[in-house]
Amino acid sequence: MRNRLAIPVLVALLVMAFLASLAFGELRLSFSQVVAALGGGSDDIARTVVRDFRLPRALVGMAAGAALGASGVVMQAFFRNPLASPGLLGVSSGGALGAVAVLALGPMLGFASATLWALPAASVLGAFGATGAVLMLAQRGAGTERLLLSGVALNALLGAGTSFLLTTTVGHFEVNAQILFWLMGGLESRSWEHVWMGVPAILAGCLLLLPLGRAMDLLSLGEHSAQSLGVDVRRLRRQLIALSTVLTALATATAGVIGFVGLVVPHILRLAFGPAHRRLLPHSMLGGAAFLLACDLVTRTFPIGLRLGVVTALVGGPFFLWLLRRPR
Amino acid sequence: MSAPALHAAGLSVPGRLDAVSLDLGPGELVAMVGPNGAGKSTLIQALAGLLPAHGAIHWNGQSLSHIPAAERGRRLAWVGQEAHFEFAFPVREVVAQGRYAWGDDPTGVAEALAELDLTFLADRPATRLSGGERHRVALARALATQAPIQLWDEPVAQLDVRHALEVMRLARRRADGGGTVLVSLHDLRAAYRFDRVLVLDRGRLVGNGGPHEVLTADLIRQVFRVEATFVESLVPELPQD
Repeated sequence: MRNRLAIPVLVALLVMAFLASLAFGELRLSFSQVVAALGGGSDDIARTVVRDFRLPRALVGMAAGAALGASGVVMQAFFRNPLASPGLLGVSSGGALGAVAVLALGPMLGFASATLWALPAASVLGAFGATGAVLMLAQRGAGTERLLLSGVALNALLGAGTSFLLTTTVGHFEVNAQILFWLMGGLESRSWEHVWMGVPAILAGCLLLLPLGRAMDLLSLGEHSAQSLGVDVRRLRRQLIALSTVLTALATATAGVIGFVGLVVPHILRLAFGPAHRRLLPHSMLGGAAFLLACDLVTRTFPIGLRLGVVTALVGGPFFLWLLRRPR
Repeated sequence: MSAPALHAAGLSVPGRLDAVSLDLGPGELVAMVGPNGAGKSTLIQALAGLLPAHGAIHWNGQSLSHIPAAERGRRLAWVGQEAHFEFAFPVREVVAQGRYAWGDDPTGVAEALAELDLTFLADRPATRLSGGERHRVALARALATQAPIQLWDEPVAQLDVRHALEVMRLARRRADGGGTVLVSLHDLRAAYRFDRVLVLDRGRLVGNGGPHEVLTADLIRQVFRVEATFVESLVPELPQD
């Protein structure tokens, strides 16, 4: 019964967050204005605000949230650990280093004007590079523990690189601020270009993930048992790593580094609606999208310099703790 | 003469298993004994195709490398020594995973739950079970596969006496129905009830035959370094039904 409510409830939350994202901001619009603007009506200002600024921002936010939610589910099933998160294998750190490298070195090398595409491209490259390095370090067919430890080592290494680049830019206030902002995630000034770079591929990744849900159920209860029950575990693990990397890389490339969504959203939805991945995957995609939009609304409603990655942790953390303290 | 259900030739895993060759036929109930670290789990996992190993493995005359993943799930079921469930799937759903290779057709799930006395626990999250109950869930999942070859790694070590006897009876029924059942054990007395006993010592197969031929005082002294005497003793039995 409770399970049947999940999708309607999550869709309703997402639609509410989406409409609120289009309505709230410096220019407060009514929902009827929003709907009219989406349909091409309303006045010029409202139409411009909704269609050129808020809609791409909301779409990128939804896609990034869905990607992080789904990627968290994948990592948790893969490592059979509800505390796993999308960045575990260094994908986010790799993406961060790639983006920070462009921001820090770009002005020196003279391609700052191209950063609209250079930044996401470098970020995706960094993320893929990180996953590739982990897979190589862990060698083919290696156990999850070795993969995990390689991820930990790589995360430290990439984090060191990012910190180093950050310190080299301390004298350059503008660049330094850009890097800091990016490292804390955010959806401001997302354009339709960002939508095209991120949303279609994230959507495709999510759709490719859905049919793997049943096999993920078996994997999440043990690699050997899954294999003995007829799952092609090596193939499944390759698919999961590839899809999770693409999803996390694109979320990071288009919205910066955003922690906690991939950990907390699947966890909450698993407690609420059960662990079966055929449902948990779509639940976490919808839930991640709604959660990220809601957090973005908070950053806009309280313009005191709150960054998106700060809000996700600030909102998610206490809620998570409350949930864990509840008697089950 | 049809091909053996399970055939291994020169099966080796570096440092753990040394050129083990054996054949298990349909309808056979086979026990495997040996000291800790003798390679029992390694052998069972290698036979199940879960470990990279040197040597040849055939299931029903077909080389394991030619059997696709789903077909493997329909032919052979494996129960590991450890039964841990990290996520709170209800017991019924864990057992139903045994039907994965059959496109999740639910045939036999209810029977498997009943056979392992789990019907009353069917809706409980598998994370909230005792160690023995978790093992019974893993066994029920293996039975639900209805695979003719069943490999169980120490299935009764954590079970109470009644459930241990039930599991032995289930194993016997499987074999009587034409299945092949290999069970690793520590209880040498229980091994006497099997059709055949394999003795593993330091990665080598040192005994393979009927329990009375194989489990002699000499071999037990040599492998386990204990003195065995044969006496009358308390033997718990399930009531006849």
